[in-house]
Amino acid sequence: MLKLKEVGQCFYPNTIEEAAKLLKESGEDTRIVGGGLHLTAFPNPAIKTLIFLNNLKLNYIKEIDGKISIGATTTISELANSAEMNGYLKGNVKKLLQSIASELLRNQITMGGSVAQREPYSDIVTMLLTLRADIVIHDGEKEIKTPISDFYKSNFRATLKKSVIKEVLLEKFDSTYKFGMKRFTRNATDIPLLNFGILAQVNEDTIKNVSIVVGARPGPAERFAQAEEFLKNKTLSKELAEEFGKFVEENVDVAGDIRVGKEYRAHIAGIFAKRILNEFMEE
Amino acid sequence: MKVHYKINGEEKEFDIQPGELLLDVLRRNNYTEIKGNCYLGTCGACAVLINEVAKATCTTLAAQVNNAEIITIKGIGTISEPHLLQKAFVEKGAVQCGFCTPGTIISAYALLKNNPDPTEEEIKRSIDGNLCRCTGYVQQIEAIKFAIKLLKGGK
Repeated sequence: MLKLKEVGQCFYPNTIEEAAKLLKESGEDTRIVGGGLHLTAFPNPAIKTLIFLNNLKLNYIKEIDGKISIGATTTISELANSAEMNGYLKGNVKKLLQSIASELLRNQITMGGSVAQREPYSDIVTMLLTLRADIVIHDGEKEIKTPISDFYKSNFRATLKKSVIKEVLLEKFDSTYKFGMKRFTRNATDIPLLNFGILAQVNEDTIKNVSIVVGARPGPAERFAQAEEFLKNKTLSKELAEEFGKFVEENVDVAGDIRVGKEYRAHIAGIFAKRILNEFMEE
Repeated sequence: MKVHYKINGEEKEFDIQPGELLLDVLRRNNYTEIKGNCYLGTCGACAVLINEVAKATCTTLAAQVNNAEIITIKGIGTISEPHLLQKAFVEKGAVQCGFCTPGTIISAYALLKNNPDPTEEEIKRSIDGNLCRCTGYVQQIEAIKFAIKLLKGGK
């Protein structure tokens, strides 16, 4: 089954500068290939040129200047199985990564690809927004670091026609930070119909520095500012979790689609919100 | 364009179209032990080891893995000399129609190569991308556990 009939040339650059230069020179019908899942599962028959990132050595997870730096071609499996994720936010990021899609897809989906595609159902995008990651791109001459929320507010798809994602940076949060993310799927390996992430600093049961992100709404993942405001400076308790669940159900910005209705999505969001806070109390 | 692979220990060179999938290239060249089905990476029937990692060949471009080492089910064991995982799948009744079996064993093989003593949770996770529509998963999990036992016993 030849899905990409028009592809006539493949490039294997050895440096990110070379990759960005090729991307700029090759025009509209060119695609960067990291893991290649999106390209093959949702092929665009107009694509004529492929630039493979295999030789760029962007397959790494390392700690630099207090941040965890994850190379763009690092797969979900590689990140989930890395030593860096073992104790990171009490292992909750690792557990989440292990639950996404299936092993064969986790072995193929890359961090860079997930960021670039920004699929509305992407758990990785919701996770990175919740964790306030930075995205580092290379335009062929220099590296540019941008908080992921700003990256998505910009015309990032136009930027990625001229630049290559180099890495994702995660902050190393101290032990006062808690992270939880839930995903709702029809079966274990299906795309999520809703995902919901919370990162919060909890100091003597007082909630501060909260990030809350909802994805697969079914629109793309977005911060849920109202919910962040609701939790700010509140004391973590079972009553708060109950109250917060109701608040989320009533105020979350979701819609219905062919898979699930608006009310059901909102209801699930409320349940996830409550469960995550209850889990924070158990940690 | 030409691509070069090492498949089941043998050096191979194939002529491909740059947009071709690895699954199609391998099956065209008689590696029919790799099954094609979903073309979305969701069923796992086409899994092989690519540079020691289990991957779906239906979502992998042949050009992307130029110069890779590929292992199919026949590279793990043959009818005359089956791998312990293959023996265990037969022993525990984990094979019915057999369509998913090559991919499932590839995924289990990848797990045991990196983790010879996995938990049940890790076994389940390793084959969660391999769908079976007749045998079911209980026997497969039992078979992998049995293979681990055989491997530990040095058989």
